[in-house]
Amino acid sequence: MAEDQFMRFLAAWALVHETADEGWKAAVVRGAEQETGSMEAGPEAFVDGLSAMIAEEKERLKAALASGEVEAPGSKADVGSQLDDLLFEVRELRGRLESMQTTLDAVLAEDEDHGVK
Amino acid sequence: MSRRTRVITRTFALHWARALPRARFGFAPRATRRAAFARATRLALEDLGPAFIKLGQVASVRPDLVPPEYVFEFEQLQDRVPPLPAERIAAVIRHELGRPLFELFDDFETEPIAAASIAQVHRARLAREVRPVIGDVMPAGTPVAIKVVRPGAAQVIAADLAEARRLLSRLDRFGLSRRIDAPALLEEFAASLASELDLRNEGRVSDRFAHDFRDDRCVMTPRIAWSHTSRSVLTMEYVEGWRLTEIDDAARAGVDAFHLALHGATVFMKQVLVLGRYHADLHPANLFVTPDSRICYLDFGIVGTTEREERINIAQVLAATVYGDADRALCYSAKLGLEVPEDKQAQVRRRVGELMGRTLNVPGKAADVKGFATGFLSVMADARVPIPAGYGLLVKALVTVEGVARAIYPDIDITRAAKPFATRLIAQQMMRPDRIADRLPAALRAALRELVS
Ligand SMILES: Nc1ncnc2c1ncn2[C@@H]1O[C@H](COP(=O)(O)OP(=O)(O)O)[C@@H](O)[C@H]1O
Repeated sequence: MAEDQFMRFLAAWALVHETADEGWKAAVVRGAEQETGSMEAGPEAFVDGLSAMIAEEKERLKAALASGEVEAPGSKADVGSQLDDLLFEVRELRGRLESMQTTLDAVLAEDEDHGVK
Repeated sequence: MSRRTRVITRTFALHWARALPRARFGFAPRATRRAAFARATRLALEDLGPAFIKLGQVASVRPDLVPPEYVFEFEQLQDRVPPLPAERIAAVIRHELGRPLFELFDDFETEPIAAASIAQVHRARLAREVRPVIGDVMPAGTPVAIKVVRPGAAQVIAADLAEARRLLSRLDRFGLSRRIDAPALLEEFAASLASELDLRNEGRVSDRFAHDFRDDRCVMTPRIAWSHTSRSVLTMEYVEGWRLTEIDDAARAGVDAFHLALHGATVFMKQVLVLGRYHADLHPANLFVTPDSRICYLDFGIVGTTEREERINIAQVLAATVYGDADRALCYSAKLGLEVPEDKQAQVRRRVGELMGRTLNVPGKAADVKGFATGFLSVMADARVPIPAGYGLLVKALVTVEGVARAIYPDIDITRAAKPFATRLIAQQMMRPDRIADRLPAALRAALRELVS
């Protein structure tokens, strides 16, 4: 989801600047040797780890680009999650209405019990 | 002095007197002393009944107002009362849902599954099919838990609340309330009560949680039957499983306990850092582990919120704490409103750093988040640093999550869940695509500079 999008985003950047940053490449090599996301070793190691994650994503992105299955922002997946949220809100509304209906029925039934028609 | 006031005063006096030997008449180390009186106070609250128990429970999520020893002691308050007869409960259902019980439910069980001061829970089956907001249709015959507000609950508690108010104003004259902000607590109490008395709130929070975690196979909440729900009646799917308070080795063997415990912590991280809504009041009794290895969340109680702008700072504090960097933790805490005065900073930094070494970063031992949190809050109290309410709630919630995770898998180290999460989030939040799409390279450079600073 959002998290993956971000990785992909960074990966795209790295891909475009493939030759730009030697420091980055060195970080990737160091980072690939440690457990992903590990922070025991402090901020440097953390950045290395992050770089390695991005490098991995970059390779995936390269492959995806080659096979033509890349989605742009505002794409299907994006719209899909927005639709999910909307759908949830509609369903939630239905839930509220059902509960209100029940309460309304109860009040009416009460009135009948007391002979108020 | 009214009779009730006398009872209340006597109850506290009795329990505190009993705590004296344990506190070695005031000569025990400060932590021991405080813990002894916190325990005595909890026992007194339990003796005094529902309103006091509720008050204690509210206090237990306010580390900004209440000393840490009390916060973690009050968390254990058990709100259990003798059940009301099933006919009284059935009458509420009939009145609120407008139809006789047998038209709505089959096999209503007169023996409740739980009875607390506000509500009582009974098991039954749906008499007809119900479509929930999230998840599959519940066919007729689906087992349900019906949670019903006890008739008169509001009044009983209001009366006791008035009593507590009087008492607390009197206690102001003693030392006790110096560190406890009683009026603020009472206000909070009244508000939380109002929302707890309307069970629809609980149902909504539950649905929202189910939606937020719709892609997560490891967590669930009971589906809500809204057509069988009103202000005082909440009907939800009955969940089979072990309460975390009763999970034993046999149960642990049947599920992937380690993975679940870690996942529980991850769910919390996601709530705090991504969704902005989290459970501040997780109780092992309100969490189930199901036979198909899922964590089921019940009764959402107090929900904390985090703002977008806060989350990046929270992630920074978490990350810094997890790898023992007191400096950074305090620097980002300041951005969340925890302001240590200039002249105290060196001292606080030293104490927090030492505490981190002692509780979180002991080689070969799982991190002790609760130990850290208690110590941290004490350091702040000693330095007279006020704790922002949201900050305190978060600290407390983190400790609760550790408690919950440990109930599933006793040796778990929840910082293991925090590490990868905070790592990714710091980067992710700083680089939200919507914010920086147009000035990509500059933002990335800035983010990296921030990360290595
Ligand atoms: N949907 C459910 N399925 C199974 N047990 C439930 C369900 N809802 C509640 N219970 C049982 O009832 C107890 C009390 O419910 P809870 O909602 O926590 O009420 P309270 O706020 O009074 O503690 C829970 O600890 C649990 O054992």
